[in-house]
Amino acid sequence: MLLVLALLGMLALAVAAPPLARRLGRNTGYPLAAGYLAVAALLASAAPRVWAGDTETASWEWLPSLGVSLSLRLDGVAGVFCLIVLGVGALVMAYCPGYLAEDEPHGTVYLLLTLFATSMLGLVLAADVVLLYVFWELTTVCSFFLISTAGAAAARPARQALLVTAAGGLALLAAVVLLTVAAGTTDLATILAEPDRVLDSGLAWPIGGLLVLAACTKSAQLPFHFWLPGAMVAMTPVSAYLHSATMVKAGIYLLLRFSPLFAEESAWSTALISIGLLTAVTGAFLALRENDLKGILAYSTVSQLGLLVAVIGVGTPEALAAAVLHTFAHALFKATLFMLAGIVDEETGTRDIRELSGMWRAMPVTAATTVLAALSLAGVIPMLGFVSKEYLFIGLLEAEGAPWAGPVALALGVTASVLTFAYAARIVHGGFGGSEQHSDVSEPPAAFLLPGAVAAGLGLVLGPAVSVLSPMIVSAASDVAPAGDPPEVYFWHGLSPELAMSALTIVLGLVLFGFRAPVDRALQRLRLPDAGRLFDRGHDGVIALGHVVGGPERTSSPAAHLSRPLVAVVALGGVGALVVGGLPSRADTDRPLDWVVAGLLAVVVPAAVLTGSTLAAVGLVGITGLLVATWFLLAGAPDVALTLMLVEVMTAVVAVLVLRGVPSRFVRSPRRAAVPAAALALGAGVAATLATLAFTGRRELSAVGEHFLDSTEEQTGGTNVVNTILVDYRGLDTLGEAVVLGTTALGTALVLGRSERRRTVTPGARGDAVLEVGGRVLVPGMFLLSAFLLWRGHDEPGGGFIAALVAGAAIALNQLTHGSGTFLGRLTRPDRLAGAGLVLVVAVGALPTVQGRAFLTPVELPLLHALGIGSTFLFDLGVYLLVLGLLAAAVTRLEQPDRTAADEPPGPPVTGPLVTSGVPEQAP
Amino acid sequence: MSAALVVGLLVAGGVFLLLRRGLLRIVLGFVLLGHAVNVLLVSAGGMQRRGAPLLGETEADVAADPLPQAFVLTAVVITFGITVYMLALARAGDPGATTGHPPARSDAPSLADGSDRDDADRDDATADRGRRTDASEGGAS
Repeated sequence: MLLVLALLGMLALAVAAPPLARRLGRNTGYPLAAGYLAVAALLASAAPRVWAGDTETASWEWLPSLGVSLSLRLDGVAGVFCLIVLGVGALVMAYCPGYLAEDEPHGTVYLLLTLFATSMLGLVLAADVVLLYVFWELTTVCSFFLISTAGAAAARPARQALLVTAAGGLALLAAVVLLTVAAGTTDLATILAEPDRVLDSGLAWPIGGLLVLAACTKSAQLPFHFWLPGAMVAMTPVSAYLHSATMVKAGIYLLLRFSPLFAEESAWSTALISIGLLTAVTGAFLALRENDLKGILAYSTVSQLGLLVAVIGVGTPEALAAAVLHTFAHALFKATLFMLAGIVDEETGTRDIRELSGMWRAMPVTAATTVLAALSLAGVIPMLGFVSKEYLFIGLLEAEGAPWAGPVALALGVTASVLTFAYAARIVHGGFGGSEQHSDVSEPPAAFLLPGAVAAGLGLVLGPAVSVLSPMIVSAASDVAPAGDPPEVYFWHGLSPELAMSALTIVLGLVLFGFRAPVDRALQRLRLPDAGRLFDRGHDGVIALGHVVGGPERTSSPAAHLSRPLVAVVALGGVGALVVGGLPSRADTDRPLDWVVAGLLAVVVPAAVLTGSTLAAVGLVGITGLLVATWFLLAGAPDVALTLMLVEVMTAVVAVLVLRGVPSRFVRSPRRAAVPAAALALGAGVAATLATLAFTGRRELSAVGEHFLDSTEEQTGGTNVVNTILVDYRGLDTLGEAVVLGTTALGTALVLGRSERRRTVTPGARGDAVLEVGGRVLVPGMFLLSAFLLWRGHDEPGGGFIAALVAGAAIALNQLTHGSGTFLGRLTRPDRLAGAGLVLVVAVGALPTVQGRAFLTPVELPLLHALGIGSTFLFDLGVYLLVLGLLAAAVTRLEQPDRTAADEPPGPPVTGPLVTSGVPEQAP
Repeated sequence: MSAALVVGLLVAGGVFLLLRRGLLRIVLGFVLLGHAVNVLLVSAGGMQRRGAPLLGETEADVAADPLPQAFVLTAVVITFGITVYMLALARAGDPGATTGHPPARSDAPSLADGSDRDDADRDDATADRGRRTDASEGGAS
């Protein structure tokens, strides 16, 4: 409950930030700081129990089928990170009002910062690996947005930071999935408590590698370190909070967390120690080269995180305790240094140490605070940084694997620390040393300085009083090193080897600082590979590759999109022809009339394809349809044949309506342009022929077909087997089809515009007496025929589809002879027909469910049964209405006169508006 | 054998139309492809037994397989619905048809004239359109 309250409290603060900011402006930071402290106090109430080895938990089911739960857990190591997140968070919040511009609300900044704090808190409290991943990604997203708030200059670094850390996030996701597979649970405590589940699964290597990758991206380890200095374009509070104290520590947290699982594995240790120490030395070296205060601090963070990674890699209880202590110490002094850098920037307008000089006279308190924090960074007695560095040295010396591993690790650690001392001195000397006078610079307001001063003061006090932290450090270290007993931490170790190392560090650091002028010159001359530039080049390359790959799609020509899948079809056919062999011989089922139809098609299809006239193309495709209908009739499918014939009629009507006003010829294209299309068409045709030969003609009647033929009559009372399949057996398929038709009907009506609103009455048959009289006679007869076909559909050719097509033809004829606005026209509004049909089919389908029977089960209706009407008839009627709706939509909406040519007499096509380009008539 | 040739013929014709210019041809190509698939489905049911599956008229042991017929009947109607919708889109997609103004998008395909594959064609089209704009403005004033 406590943990949920804490998280919800943070969320509430985040939500409250924007409205608060509208009222308080930049001063919103103060109430937020108080809120952070309140949440910290809430969690601190559990501290005694946690230090005693107990844990605080909360859990809800989230995805029970996957075993994923929303569970939180506060133990020692989570407690340390909570303290850092909330404590440094409170300091940064209190620092923001002084840093941010006075007259702007900054609601977004406060919102994002607090959302970040919430995510970070969630990340360290998550007791489920999936939840951990979710919070991990949330911190990445918050970081991206917070960097982006710095404006246009931040676009590139923000993108770099996002891509690098999100790539790490993907690695973490993969690791989480593998962990779940290996351990059989997503519960973090179980996974860690029973390491054998993972270690014996064979997935240990990939999991460990992915976790290290995730941690290295988040914590800016080589070779991913470049995003962190780039992220310094963000405002200083963001750098102080996310990019030194907390978010970059998420990687450290992850490694600490999974240390119980992998600490015994030499590969894990070797990888972490090598990466960490390499990063520590490189980062410190790069920091020494920088002139920008924030740049120095960013590389310093990279370097310090490297030390942490290395010491976690060592994995002994002492080493892990050192890691926890140094994480805490680093958060304190690095956040302080960032805050002070921000103050210097605000007061002097620059962060370049070559331009800053002699500030100590103008800003003595700021200078003193900076010195305190820098001493802690450099590891000088008696600061907290000194104590934590001592423990780091102890930890590094314990590196195992080879007799020389410990000393080498220690030597590298000392090297990094020497460089650290040198650049810490450089910060102080560059920023505040020197003798120049600055009359225009003054000490910042006390409130602006206070948060940094508090942190620096804590670093001073907690050095000698480090035993106060001991219960926290010990409990955290024993959480992540269950095998051993972590030592108590105390300030003075006597005249120990690590003290000698510290002394050596300081002496060598002083030497390096003493020779700063030649060292500077040498460093500036060095040309180092810029990982960020390399990354950008890779990024640009990927974008360029995408451009090339996506190039052919960047056109509105359907041919360009269709040709590749068609080539694939032809290739598939070719492969099939080569691979498939030894098929049993086909039965010869051809009859003479089949060949007549095929022969006619062989004439009509090429003609339809090659004609240049639009009307001829429509007509010839219509004839093709009629021939195919004949083929169906020969194949013993009268229902299909009848439907197809009527469909062809209606297609022709619609197509001709569409063609009005369109040039009568297709645009002429050069003959050679058609050659690839023809080749592809021939290939597809051959492939289709071969496939048909391969797939047909080798079996008897299907078992399902036989079943339908045998039992239809007794089960449904219908004798038209095809119709009974549609309405009785496969009602759900037909319902799906009806939905498609309803959709196209409404879509057609919408696409062609709502004409009824205008209530225009269009002229009818245009003076054609034969058509007019014919229409009067035929239309009622066609409706009667339609009703008859619908009625008998269950037993003989007919049914909803066919009947509706006949009725549709009647509507079309009526439209042509009488125009719109007639009684029939008003009666057959497409949206009403389609809507009624859809409601009817669904209602009929749902009827049996009232009796507790399955959806669409045919039922007998009380009164109508006497008339021979069952629910299937009503279902067919619904289909009828839907098809009719589609036809009415097409006919009535397309029949609307062109809005441009409403008053023009019919006759020559309307040129101009409808001819968009390449007017064919003018072509030579 | 004849069914396979019919399918091949229809597929070849449909594919050729799909790859040509002009939305109307694409719609017609789609119709031909629909026919091809329907013929394939029915012939997959077997062409040996060809009695209509109407139990009042045909004995059950010579009737054709009704199941592919039911599929094809559904397919025919759906193809029709899609065809009508595509024709409606082709009609509505030409802004000139609805507003009397030249198309706003230079690459909008139209019914009788298709695509923007050929740069030279596109330039010509733009020039044409420019002339028409002038003409229509002149007419309006």
